[in-house]
Amino acid sequence: MNEHLKPVYLEEKLDEIRADGHQDYRSKAVPTWCPGCGYYSMSEGFTMALNRLGIEPENTVVVSGIGCASRFPFFVNTYGFHTLHGRTLPVATGVKQANDALTVVAVGGDGDAFAIGGGHIPHAARRNVDITYLVFDNGIYGLTKGQASPTSALGFTTPTTPYDNCDQPLNPLMMLLSYKASWVGQAYAGRPHHLADMIAEAMAHRGFSYLHILSPCVTFDKTDMTYANLDVGVRDLTDDHDRTDLMAAVAQAEAKEAPALGVFFEETRPTLADAMAETIRRSGGQAA
Amino acid sequence: MKKNGNGTDIQIAICGSAGDGTIAAGDILKRAMSLQGYKVIAFDLYPAEIRGFGKCISRVRISSDQTYSLKPQSDILISLNDPHAIPHVGEVRDYGAVIYEDMPIARVPEGGHISAHVRPAQIPYGLSIRYISEQATSSARSRNIVVLGYLAGLLAIERDGFHQTIQEKFKTKAKAIAEQNIKAFDAGYNLARGVFRLDTVAIRPPRHAKSGGDAVMMTGNGAVVRAFLDAGIETYFGYPITPATSIMERLTVEMPKTGGRVLQTEDEISAIAATIGAGYAGARAATATSGPGLALMAEMLGLGVMAEVPSVIVVSQRGGPSTGLPTKTEQSDLNMAVFGGAGDAQRIVLAPTNVEGCYKCAGKAFEIAEKFQTPVIVLLDLYLSNRYETVIPPKRNPFAPKPQKALAALGGNGPYKRFAAKPDHISPRAIPGEEGRMHTVTGLEHNELGRPSDLPEVHMAMSHKRHEKLKGALKLRDLTLCKRFGDDGPVDVGILGWGSTFGEILEAMYAAQEEGIRCSAMKVVMLSPLPRDKVAAFCDDCREVLVPELNYEGQFASLISGELGRPVTRLSQVTGAPMRVEEILQEVRQLSAKARPKRRRKKQDMGDERASEAGLP
Repeated sequence: MNEHLKPVYLEEKLDEIRADGHQDYRSKAVPTWCPGCGYYSMSEGFTMALNRLGIEPENTVVVSGIGCASRFPFFVNTYGFHTLHGRTLPVATGVKQANDALTVVAVGGDGDAFAIGGGHIPHAARRNVDITYLVFDNGIYGLTKGQASPTSALGFTTPTTPYDNCDQPLNPLMMLLSYKASWVGQAYAGRPHHLADMIAEAMAHRGFSYLHILSPCVTFDKTDMTYANLDVGVRDLTDDHDRTDLMAAVAQAEAKEAPALGVFFEETRPTLADAMAETIRRSGGQAA
Repeated sequence: MKKNGNGTDIQIAICGSAGDGTIAAGDILKRAMSLQGYKVIAFDLYPAEIRGFGKCISRVRISSDQTYSLKPQSDILISLNDPHAIPHVGEVRDYGAVIYEDMPIARVPEGGHISAHVRPAQIPYGLSIRYISEQATSSARSRNIVVLGYLAGLLAIERDGFHQTIQEKFKTKAKAIAEQNIKAFDAGYNLARGVFRLDTVAIRPPRHAKSGGDAVMMTGNGAVVRAFLDAGIETYFGYPITPATSIMERLTVEMPKTGGRVLQTEDEISAIAATIGAGYAGARAATATSGPGLALMAEMLGLGVMAEVPSVIVVSQRGGPSTGLPTKTEQSDLNMAVFGGAGDAQRIVLAPTNVEGCYKCAGKAFEIAEKFQTPVIVLLDLYLSNRYETVIPPKRNPFAPKPQKALAALGGNGPYKRFAAKPDHISPRAIPGEEGRMHTVTGLEHNELGRPSDLPEVHMAMSHKRHEKLKGALKLRDLTLCKRFGDDGPVDVGILGWGSTFGEILEAMYAAQEEGIRCSAMKVVMLSPLPRDKVAAFCDDCREVLVPELNYEGQFASLISGELGRPVTRLSQVTGAPMRVEEILQEVRQLSAKARPKRRRKKQDMGDERASEAGLP
């Protein structure tokens, strides 16, 4: 029988959710996002991933920038650092350099990541800092009420592009692949269970993992990156996609009109911590 | 310098073109002299370009008693490049010497040879520097070492110390290189023993020969590095910028030896961001930069203040604004260090005045940053960063290690109040990894839990907390916040100074005292929060207050006169070079005359000090 046809009893469902344990990772603060915002899937997916991986909340640090997505640390029960616009990655790098034992997750939106903070991404990627970077791309500046972002589509009309956006949007996945990020994937807020799987896989990766999450802004974008458009637009990466093949990943990333969901690229190489350990060894010192 | 009998006090200037080995020669000279127990202060001027024909000057002051700055006049000038050295002939005192090449390899245009510029009262010593170098080493590359040997011979200084220093200097190179340079040195030395003696420049045996072994030559930047290591720095982030780069370079060598981590970031924004990130995670973390880098860091400093995260930022100022004069000194970033950034972001700013001070301030900065949970800026300038002084390192590590916080029993079941109100305004600070104390810190205004809040009462209370907690820094016992020198009690002229210029100020003050002017000087090390009461008490003792500093408007003078509401006399200049003692002294003389217009005349008329006092209005 199709599971959707089974009756769902509220009490049973609540018990099931409580027993699962992922709600322990939620904070008492009530999220400030609009109803229907894609970011709810992010917080749900993140808590589910932490729960599944069995990471203690006290050993987790969520670092964020500024924007709707960056309010995220307040809504999870871990250590959090809500920093400055665009500076998520360097702060996260500092946290990780100070203490390898911490699980560090950097969170931001598309403006935070690719406009003001774009200069930091290649360096976090090339150093292979062992952090997970979750970028929530809604193609818009939500917190300042709907201006165009670096990922806004051509022809998109916003308060700062009243005669339509004439700037070519960036292709974040292509950027990350060319920076040699050691794990690159894409997920969609409209598929929360897949999103949770992808967050868990990104966090399990040792090295710099980048997860691009398509996440509609239900308040300021009624025409472009909507649930309706994305639901029919997205596709799954086929089973035969070779995630160790960079060029295959680039080809998938280039086909932006039908965004692919899944792991584009993955490789194992020494992390920043490994490089530090090697430097310490060469200097004749011992790790602290 | 305080006058103290027949000590040695000479200054040597070596001038050449980039690539002549000018700075290297000065380096060997100061190390060799320090090794023999002399006090040494040295400062090099060099161009912003690595190659080409820019001017390099290395000045070394060698003395048996403590001195505080370079002398306005040198005793000996050595020219390795006449076009560059000719303008400096005038800085050689009467009966001082000028040493130069007397066999140029190419035709010299009219007036192009330094011998035509040596003044009648100066003593010329010409030698065939290039020829001697070629004879001794088959190469002209050791010209700088030949003149060094010649200098040592002329002054009859023991050559062992030089040999040892040359060995040390070239120890990483092939063995033959050190040997060749020693040959070059000896060739110059022997030649000088055969020429007529220079008995107008005397160097006497060092008085404190015993301390010679303990004393080390150190630059301000070197002292910062040493302090960071002694204080147990765990991680450092930096981006290359003159004149702070040498801090990162030295730390990159030393820190890994004790398990420390250094990361060269992509810009200064990342450097401070990562420093604050590491500070948040509980590590002793620091960065160093210059003015342009501090400008980029301004927003992050505000985050450090708001989120109450400790961090240490060393700023070595250079000429500005913008890219400015990257290899020249200036004190024009005071305003930015103290006030720069958005909002009411008061932070702690320490400005050491000498190399020893760099050590103390940089090491203590960690403790202070941790105690007050805030960024601490240690403000140097190029003159202080790069000048050498002999210092005697402390026998015992003077810096407290990072407190190892024990996990206290959790109080109650409520959420952790990271920004809880406390009588001293310093809240408990849990670091990631501590169970049950999860919280989020933010650059947004926040309540005691760290959650965003823009309620008026919250913003008022938290602003109050962030400002009031810093007042505790004024009660620090183990760091000199400000200090008075010279005459006690009421004086005619008080010189108020900060940073590297204080060396010249002290020299000028002692010289003024010699002339019978009642004066004293105060250095202010803590620029923010300002030790207002002590500075005010000092100013109240002075009829005239003089504030010499190396910036155009007199930024410290503005800070003081604004804070105390009293006028001060500014002595501001932006030559890119340290201030000259003579200029400060001249200003002191004028202010002294203004303070006591009748004093000298009365004194002559009556010969009675009390009468002159009585004659004052």
